[in-house]
Order: sequence, then C-alpha cells, then structure tokens
Amino acid sequence: MTTTAVKTAAAVAGFDRVTKTYGDVRAVDGLTLALHPGETVALLGPNGAGKSTTLDLLLGLKRPDSGTVSVLGTEPRDAIVAGRVGAMLQSGGLMEEVTVAELVRLACSLHPRPYPVSEVLARAGVTQIADRKVDKLSGGQAQRVRFALATAGDSDLIVLDEPTTGMDVTARQAFWATMREQADRGRTVLFATHYLEEADAIADRVLVLHRGRLLADGTAAEIKARAGARRISFDLDGPVDQAALRALPSLTRCDVSGQTVRMQSADADATVHALYGLGLYPRNLEVAGLGLEQAFVAITAAEEARPS
Amino acid sequence: MNALIRLELARALRNRKSLFFSVAYPSILFLLIAGTADSTTKVDGTGLTLPTYMMVSMASFGALTAVLMGNSKRIAKERENGWVRQLRLTPLPGRGYVLAKTASAAVVSLPAIVMVFLVAAIGKDVRLDAWQWLALTGAIWAGSLVFAALGVAIGYLATGDAVRPITMITYFGLSILGGLWMPTTTFPGWLQDIAEWVPTRAYAALGQAIEQSQAPHTGDIALLAVFFVLFSGGAAWLYRKDTLKA
Repeated sequence: MTTTAVKTAAAVAGFDRVTKTYGDVRAVDGLTLALHPGETVALLGPNGAGKSTTLDLLLGLKRPDSGTVSVLGTEPRDAIVAGRVGAMLQSGGLMEEVTVAELVRLACSLHPRPYPVSEVLARAGVTQIADRKVDKLSGGQAQRVRFALATAGDSDLIVLDEPTTGMDVTARQAFWATMREQADRGRTVLFATHYLEEADAIADRVLVLHRGRLLADGTAAEIKARAGARRISFDLDGPVDQAALRALPSLTRCDVSGQTVRMQSADADATVHALYGLGLYPRNLEVAGLGLEQAFVAITAAEEARPS
Repeated sequence: MNALIRLELARALRNRKSLFFSVAYPSILFLLIAGTADSTTKVDGTGLTLPTYMMVSMASFGALTAVLMGNSKRIAKERENGWVRQLRLTPLPGRGYVLAKTASAAVVSLPAIVMVFLVAAIGKDVRLDAWQWLALTGAIWAGSLVFAALGVAIGYLATGDAVRPITMITYFGLSILGGLWMPTTTFPGWLQDIAEWVPTRAYAALGQAIEQSQAPHTGDIALLAVFFVLFSGGAAWLYRKDTLKA
C-alpha cells in the first residue's frame, strides 16, 4: 500500500476520474491511472476503445469534460511547453517542401534541451534520407521522421501513437531497439499499438482500454493469466460426452469439433487432473499459455458480452 | 519561433512558382496596364499620372498577393494534414505558428513592393522624392498586415476544396473593388460608393496620398484599422475554435 502511495506521488502522468464525451458516446469514461518513471507502457484496445482520445487528453490537445489530467505535476500543455514531453501522433502531419534535416533542425531549435541534430537523425534512422523532401517520403519513412521530431530533445515522457504503422519488419525491430534505449535512460514511454506482439515484447506494463474504461492493467504475463491463462487441446477416441467436458473445473471456454477438443482454462492443472478423473484417455494432449493476442480477445470479448 | 520563421522563409524563397506569382507578377501587370500610357495624362481627381497611380496600386496588389495567398492556403492545408497539430506537441507557443506565417509572408511582400517601384522608376520614369519612396514602402508594407490577418482568418475558416475559391474570390474581389487594377474613378457611381468602404481602396489611398505629398487621410487609416481589428479578431476566434476542436 505504501509503495503505491509513493509511486503515485512521483507519477509522470496521471488521470483522475477523467471523462470525455462526444455527443452520446463516452470516449473516455471515468479513467483513473498513473504512469510511473521509467515504465514502458502499452495501451491496447479495439478500435473505438478511446485510445486516441486518451492520448489527446494526455497531450492537452483535448480537455476533459470532468476529472483532471496532469503531466509531471502540471497541466499537460505546460509540460509540453517546458519540453518535458515528446510525442508522435498518427494524426500529426509534417511540414511539406522542406527537407528531413531542416524539419529535424526545427524540432531541435524549438526544444529547450535539444540533442545534436545529427544524433537525432541517426537515432531515428533517417540520416540517409536527411536531404530528401518531406513530401517524397514513404509511410514508414515519414513515421521515422515523426519519431525524430518526438525525440529531438531531452524529455521525460515519450508518447507514441501506433508508432510502427507502415514500417516493415526490419524497420520495426530497429525502431523498438531505439525505443528500449530511451526507456533504459529512464524515460517513461507510453505507446498505443494494435500489434499485440509488440506490447508483449516491449512493454513492462499493458493497459487494456475498452469503451473508454480501463479493463486490465498489469504486466503482459498478468493479463494473459487473467484471460484464462492456458489453452488445452486433445483428441478423444469414441463418442465425446460434451456435457461432462463442459463441467470440468476452471474452464473459460470449450470447443468440440469432431474428435478434437479445444479448451481455455484459468487453472489448467486442475482441469487436466479432472479430465483424467473422468476416466478418459486424451491423445495428443497439449497445454500452452495464451498469447497476449488471445488474452486480449478473451478479455474484451467477455466485456462485450456483458450488458453495458 | 525564429527557427520556424527562418524555415518558412527558406521554403517560400525556394518555391519558384509562388515566388514568381507574388514578386514578379505585380510588376508585369503594372507594365501591361501602364505600359502604353503616356506620362502626362492624369488620373481623374488625383493629379497623378497613370503610371504613378498604378505603381502604388500594383505595389499594394503585390503585397496583398504575398500575404493573403501565403497565409490562407498554407494554413488550411497544414491544418488538414496535421502539421498544425504536430506543432502543438512542441514547445512552440500557440500563436507562434500564425506569427511565423505572417512574418515570412511579410518578408516576401517587401521585394514585391520594391520590384514594382524599380520597374516604374526605370521603365516609366516615375520620379518621387527620397522620403516619398521610403514612406511608400513603409505604408504599403505596414498596411499589408491587415490582409495578412485576413489570410489567417480564411486559413482557419475553410479547408480542402473550399479554401481555394474563397481565397480567390476574396483576392480578386478586393483587388478589383479596391481599384488596384483600374482606378475607382472609372467605376459607375454606385460601384464607387461601394468601393469607398473596401479596405484595399483605403490601402492604395495611403500610397497615393504620399505620392501627392500629403499625409494619408484619417478616414482611410481609420477604415484600415477597423478592418484590421475585424480580421485579426476573426482570426483569433477561429484559431481558438480550431484549437479546442483539434
């Protein structure tokens, strides 16, 4: 309890019962959360879950209808003016008819604690295209330029909205390598993504948003565990007694197709133990953890099924 | 903010097409209109020769082109492609963007004014005192701020397909009604009555007063001041609305 209180006091960013509505739609609904120094946090959610609105609120581009958003102890806008936040948004465009180097130089001059231009270019992997006109870039190159703008100076919080969209696999890996380096320097990184494997591989903490509310908040492992941690599959000989199978303990899901049975269980050990207790002889038995992707689907699907 | 002004300027100077349009085009138009006129015929009611009269009109027109076109289309486009939004994620103060746009447009408008003066002095023997040249440059340059504010307002008012026709109608409307292309004295009476209240007419009248060795008329300055307040107030209101929405 004490540690939580200490952490909250030193939060890099905080949402306190924040609500934002557009007409009848509650894009963000009573959101409360805190980001702590040095964390790399992934923000997940299906389309329309409120990810973009959450980032806009965090960056002071939108104002909450109620509740408060604070960044580094001040209003979001003040934190940005102080150069303490670097951000790239999907909706953020680039100035046209100038070169990549000119644009990055601009971002460096606007920052109160800039890094050398050559360093920013190199880190974002755009040194080779530094003399190219911004309007002539591919989608992935433009993303890297946006990243360069977001990391032009020494900021405490880096916010990235779908940063690797449009990048190929190699570029994506290179991107996350630089991002990890940023996190290692003690920066807090918050990124929204729909590549769940990225969240799984990179984030210390995963936030799952659904209809503007925080559905899950924990490490990727915790979220997987929460979703009904394990997947069990096997084949049976002879007639399959579905009712008996469905009555097995800790099941969250059970699909039977022909002789093949696929289940998800919150406690795979207990389920398998009870399975043998039925006197069955399962063949090709496999017990495996859920991927974050399946966990995510499981969590959001369970929430969808609930009447709102 | 200086960095943004420098970059805006570098970009403006690199764009040959728009540079030609705002710097050379007014001078060419001046030669087309005043080219065949002799240097003795006076424009009715002004005591100025046609080349002298048109020199101020075209210098004003050039400045108008640079600031109005420069601001409106670019702001609308950059609002649309998200650059304005991206800039709001940098430590640049909110108004810095608009100020940088206006400042760089004002830098381009200066050569447009001077170019018309040179062409008029060399090609059409327009002769004025040194103080008149300086006062003309200053008055036309300062007066262009009124239209820079209008350009900002249009840039925040419209987007996409709408911004071009709105800019063009405003631009040609102001140019023609204000008598920048032909003296308002050639208009029918009812049109002259309307032109009386058009800001570009008052704008050109500043320069014509200086050419006649007079102080600019208080009425013209007041009219321009009122339009400046209107345009910049409108721009500020639209800017704030856009900021809340984005």
